[in-house]
Amino acid sequence: MKVIVKQWHAIAQWQWDTGKTDENGDPEEDVCGICRVPFEGCCPTCKVPGDDCPLIWGECSHVFHMHCLLKWIATAASKQQCPMDRRQWVTAERKVAAGDL
Amino acid sequence: MASKALSDQVAAKWQDSFNRLNRGAPGISGLMGFSRAWAIAADVLHPRELGAPPKDFNTNEVRSAFDVLMQCRMLPMLLESFVEDMRRHQHLITNDVVRYMAEYEASGDPDVIGRLVLLLADWYFAWAPGGELGHTISSAYIVHFQTHLFSVLPAAFASGFKKLLAATLTFFTEGATPSIPVSVQDSKLWPSFELLGLADRYESLIASVCYEHIEAHVLETSAGKWDEPVLVRLREWMADKVVPWMLLPYARGAKTTEEARTMLQGVGSRFDFHVCKTLCDLRTKEMFDIVIDYPDSTPALHDLKECLQRVDQRSQLVQALRKANKRRLLHPGADTKDILTQYVSLIRCLRAIDPPGVLLFKVADPIRRYLRDRPDTIRCIVASLVVDSESGDSLVDDDGPIQPLQSPQVDDYTDPNWEPEPVDAGPDFRANKPSDVVSTLVSIYDSKDLFVKELQVLLAQRLLAVTDGNYEKERRNLEILKVRFGEAPLQVCEVMLKDMTDSRRIDQHVQSQSSSVMHPTIISRHFWPQFQATKILMPGQLHAIQESYAREFTTFKPDKRLRWLSHLGSIRLDIQLQDRTVSADVPPLEAAFIELFSEQEVWTVNDLIERVGPIERPAALKALLAWVDRGVLREENDGTDMQRFRLLESAPTDAGAVPVGMTTAGSRVALTEEQPAVLTVQQQQAEQMKVYWKFIEGMLTNLGGLPLDRIQTMLKFAPGYDRTPDQLGAFMDAARREGLVNVKDGIWRLNR
Repeated sequence: MKVIVKQWHAIAQWQWDTGKTDENGDPEEDVCGICRVPFEGCCPTCKVPGDDCPLIWGECSHVFHMHCLLKWIATAASKQQCPMDRRQWVTAERKVAAGDL
Repeated sequence: MASKALSDQVAAKWQDSFNRLNRGAPGISGLMGFSRAWAIAADVLHPRELGAPPKDFNTNEVRSAFDVLMQCRMLPMLLESFVEDMRRHQHLITNDVVRYMAEYEASGDPDVIGRLVLLLADWYFAWAPGGELGHTISSAYIVHFQTHLFSVLPAAFASGFKKLLAATLTFFTEGATPSIPVSVQDSKLWPSFELLGLADRYESLIASVCYEHIEAHVLETSAGKWDEPVLVRLREWMADKVVPWMLLPYARGAKTTEEARTMLQGVGSRFDFHVCKTLCDLRTKEMFDIVIDYPDSTPALHDLKECLQRVDQRSQLVQALRKANKRRLLHPGADTKDILTQYVSLIRCLRAIDPPGVLLFKVADPIRRYLRDRPDTIRCIVASLVVDSESGDSLVDDDGPIQPLQSPQVDDYTDPNWEPEPVDAGPDFRANKPSDVVSTLVSIYDSKDLFVKELQVLLAQRLLAVTDGNYEKERRNLEILKVRFGEAPLQVCEVMLKDMTDSRRIDQHVQSQSSSVMHPTIISRHFWPQFQATKILMPGQLHAIQESYAREFTTFKPDKRLRWLSHLGSIRLDIQLQDRTVSADVPPLEAAFIELFSEQEVWTVNDLIERVGPIERPAALKALLAWVDRGVLREENDGTDMQRFRLLESAPTDAGAVPVGMTTAGSRVALTEEQPAVLTVQQQQAEQMKVYWKFIEGMLTNLGGLPLDRIQTMLKFAPGYDRTPDQLGAFMDAARREGLVNVKDGIWRLNR
């Protein structure tokens, strides 16, 4: 017997690649450290998630909504530090996904 | 012996009387003249038998005789003796009355009464003193004649008279028919009534005859007739047929039409009122069915509106309608959709009758309360909001432009056109402006959030079912809904639609890189309703297809990954067997199973479930039986508990093959109902409540018993908790029924 797939209408969810490889990633944990909204949601100023409200990855391994972080960095009080660990914020190049491929 | 004074007095009296009668004539010639005059006068006034030949009187002689009597001041005496004469002869009339009444009671024919009345009139004329005898005598005669007449008329006369009147009315409205008594057509009949004083005496009877006739006519012509205005026609009928009759009893003696009109004015409006009232009663009784028939019954509504302005029966209408609704609509046997349809019709009907909406408010209240308790009300409303315009069974066929939802407004007292609330408005009546139907429906619930949630679920179901990439209808629906509910609450739905278009774009890109049979819909997790959390692992080539697509996707969007919701969607397969090819559109679970059968030909159900993942046994059986139905698999029962299925490489030819649908596991009844992929709002809430139960359990363990409001306060610290105390109470009650907690004096405790 041979099964030939002619067409497949599948349903999938997209998910940001935050570097965690946990397959069953606990959704409760994947929230932006600034606005506490899930990464797959959008920051408070945005209305549409995904490419219009992307994430930003820091060298310190912390991930935020880009809009949230830029707003934070723009304030004087931030001293250009990561809000989670107070290290100097350095935006990381995305290497994780590239490594996968 | 009499004293002298007494005899003097008698003598004086005598002399006085003598002088009066003799009128100073010589001798007793005056006295003689008097007795002659008396004899003539008495003879003239003598009540005679009807048949008796009328005597010839010399008018001059009679007049001079009466003059004589007047000069002697003996007219009162004459009158007295005449009345006494009448009394002595009244047995003649009594005989006739008794005879006719006996005949009437035997036959029940109003004609007998008619003839009796005419006969009595004859008696009246026969006995009546000539008009030249002065007003006093004739009026005394009338009084005595009528008094006597009424004293001898038996009770049955009234009913007979009524019948007779009814016959005259029928004669007027319908013309002469054979059933009309002859006497009715006699033009002397009504003057006779008048003459005998029957018209005055039986005035209420006359009115009631007219009322009854009107009622019968209205019922006959208007019952169940809602598709044309009847009130105008009824009024025409009144003017053409009944008013000419009314002229007889109510405009007696009117010389000109002008005079008749003024005489009829009061009584006419009374009868017009009765027409309105009868029609109003009728329509009130029929109201529920009128609402069902809306909009065909619009003319009836206009009639009712006009009647209600004339007749104040609004509260009766409300009561009747509430009663009918309770009995015929608000019971478990009625479909929610039907109730809604009826409610919408009701809104339209009562708005037509009473634009300020007081009636509607009163009638609708129980319906709204009832609908609020129905679990599927929101779903029905939402479904009707987004219903395909082609299918045409929409609750709300919008004629006008779509309006935003209206919320009740506070009275603006600076508005120069402000009007107070109608007088019969209840205390909690909200004077909302004539709003559209959807606003009214949505306002059944206090918040629109529920609607938005339900909309989201509905939209998700519809979007996921779309495979041909045509979302235009959904987009149009959403635009309409946005106008109603506002932009912000529907933002989520907007994202859902955007996901659909994005998916298409991404798919086009991926296909251009490496074409795939897979065309997924990629959704933004937090913007869709929760899905049934079943995880199935696709085996073999299906998994490979997923993997390769996911890889392409990640190349296209380096920051994103895909998580498959493998149990959703549909797959079109060709199964190539040795002797045949089977094509089918199947859900993923079925595809997964059949893919496994390409590894080996026989599987037990348990093994299959193990390979695919945590799925429920009934669901697995259902999928397998779908293949059995297609003739691809066969169930084998080898006596053990294990259910095994075998692939049929070649179509079974032996007659012993188990016929489709007769397999042991094929007890389809036992199969669970297919679950919709998207969780309904209730299911979502129940799901959330499971989380909160953990909190409640924790706090009751740590703190012992707690009252409900304490639990509520503490739960408010939990993220996303948005239940009302009532909802919490219901939840705790459910927990109590399951034996998890108990309550005493308002303190909840865990059962241990």
